[in-house]
Amino acid sequence: MVGLSVGEKHFIQCGIAQDLRLDGRKRLTYRPIYVETGIIPQAHGSARVRLGATDVIASVKAELGKPSALQPDKGKIAVYVDCSPTAAPMFEGRGGEELSTELSVALERCLLGGKSGAGAGIDPTSLVVVEGKVCWDLYIDGLVISSDGNLLDALAAAIKAALSNTGIPKVDVAAETTGDEQPEVNISDEEFLQFDTSGIPVIVTLTKVGKHYIVDATSEEESQMSSAISISVNRKGHVCGLTKRGGAGLDPSIILDMISVAKHVSEQLINKLDSEIAAAEASEE
Amino acid sequence: MSKTEYVSPEGLRLDGRRPMEMRQLRAEIGTVSRANGSAVFEMGNTKVIAAVYGPREVQNRSQLINDHALVRCEYSMANFSTGDRMRKPKGDRRSTEISLVIRQTMEACILTHLMPRSQIDIFVQVLQADGGTRSACINAATLALADAGIPMRDIVTSCSAGYLNSTPLLDLNYIEDSAGGPDVTVGILPKLDKVTLLQMDAKLPVDIFENVMGLAIEGCKAIANYIREVLLENTKQLEYRRGL
Repeated sequence: MVGLSVGEKHFIQCGIAQDLRLDGRKRLTYRPIYVETGIIPQAHGSARVRLGATDVIASVKAELGKPSALQPDKGKIAVYVDCSPTAAPMFEGRGGEELSTELSVALERCLLGGKSGAGAGIDPTSLVVVEGKVCWDLYIDGLVISSDGNLLDALAAAIKAALSNTGIPKVDVAAETTGDEQPEVNISDEEFLQFDTSGIPVIVTLTKVGKHYIVDATSEEESQMSSAISISVNRKGHVCGLTKRGGAGLDPSIILDMISVAKHVSEQLINKLDSEIAAAEASEE
Repeated sequence: MSKTEYVSPEGLRLDGRRPMEMRQLRAEIGTVSRANGSAVFEMGNTKVIAAVYGPREVQNRSQLINDHALVRCEYSMANFSTGDRMRKPKGDRRSTEISLVIRQTMEACILTHLMPRSQIDIFVQVLQADGGTRSACINAATLALADAGIPMRDIVTSCSAGYLNSTPLLDLNYIEDSAGGPDVTVGILPKLDKVTLLQMDAKLPVDIFENVMGLAIEGCKAIANYIREVLLENTKQLEYRRGL
């Protein structure tokens, strides 16, 4: 990205202070969101989300595996994000690894709940097939194709859309299995179980520039940020995860204020996203 | 020797195509707005995005060339692009080889002497792989370079062909490619009528090889016509938007 001149930086900061951003938005307005589902036919579920110039794809693949010995009644979920060099030349080779890891971990934190699996957006017990022996391993892959700021929100929205689109094949287990034997499983090609995605949270990133916070920052606005908080909120208004980025310190009262702003913004975002996903699924048929 | 019939007695392939029929092509220019040039190219189920950044200042001074531009290329596959989920999207040997192949092919056609001391980066990302990814990447890179306005001698197009059940087949998909028969990938400069890329695996008698290569070249020329149409359409759109 080409650097910003002092004049441009000043323009961005003053604009935000006056509630008028570079593209004319208000501080708490999102860019138009476009959702397309089912774009990767060989995955069990997939979606592409465009937020302005930010373009991300999420895909969900389910494979049969063995549950861990510590949690035999739960399936496994893993989130992995890759930043494609098409988004920025600096992501070439291993350059994008740091950002990819940061995004993957932040998403896992918001979607998967604590170490015991409690409070997860997706219920891992719904992924078990035969307790202790066979479970579904869910691999959620995100790919950043084009980056113009606010990657975390876009990825979370894409994952939510991809999970709404996911159909896990129905598995018939052969009747008699004893002891440590692996049961015979028959994966159906016809019937699919849809996921219940109402519990999946969205992520709202609030970027603090000067004294004010903005939602859905573009990469130019992100370059001016002092700090940012990404808050994951679900439909019930519960906070599911929190990440603070940026070196500047924040007064705790400001953090609480940002959380309440995020909850307020998330209601509109969830409604908008749900209607976009429903429209995308309808047009896919 | 597998007994699977890749060409049925009526002359239809596994996906219903005729032996000399290519898969459906679809191209879109300008998908990545931050890149200098970008394009999406689909050949059947194979879908590839190419983005070009350049000409710009050389990032690594030691690689600077005084009299012409440095061309770099990276090929990566998405985790979900193949049927079984891939663990390592970049850095494996196949990706490195394909990056090299695309770089050499595109370098031959870019007029690098017009942009000395600069760097052109071509990044190709495979979203869905169903055979012929090499060719789709080269076609997408051509479109992206044209979108970036980088001067070229000619467009480069690429197509693959094979030979199964005693029939030359154009544009193999993944199943046909994995069948163990020969796979010939050709890249040409259509107007200049020159071959810039030629790769083959497995074995073929020489006279049949000439047939198969000729078929692949015909495929390349058809793709070149399609690419020219897409570029013309794109230019008309730009003219229209500028109000000319």
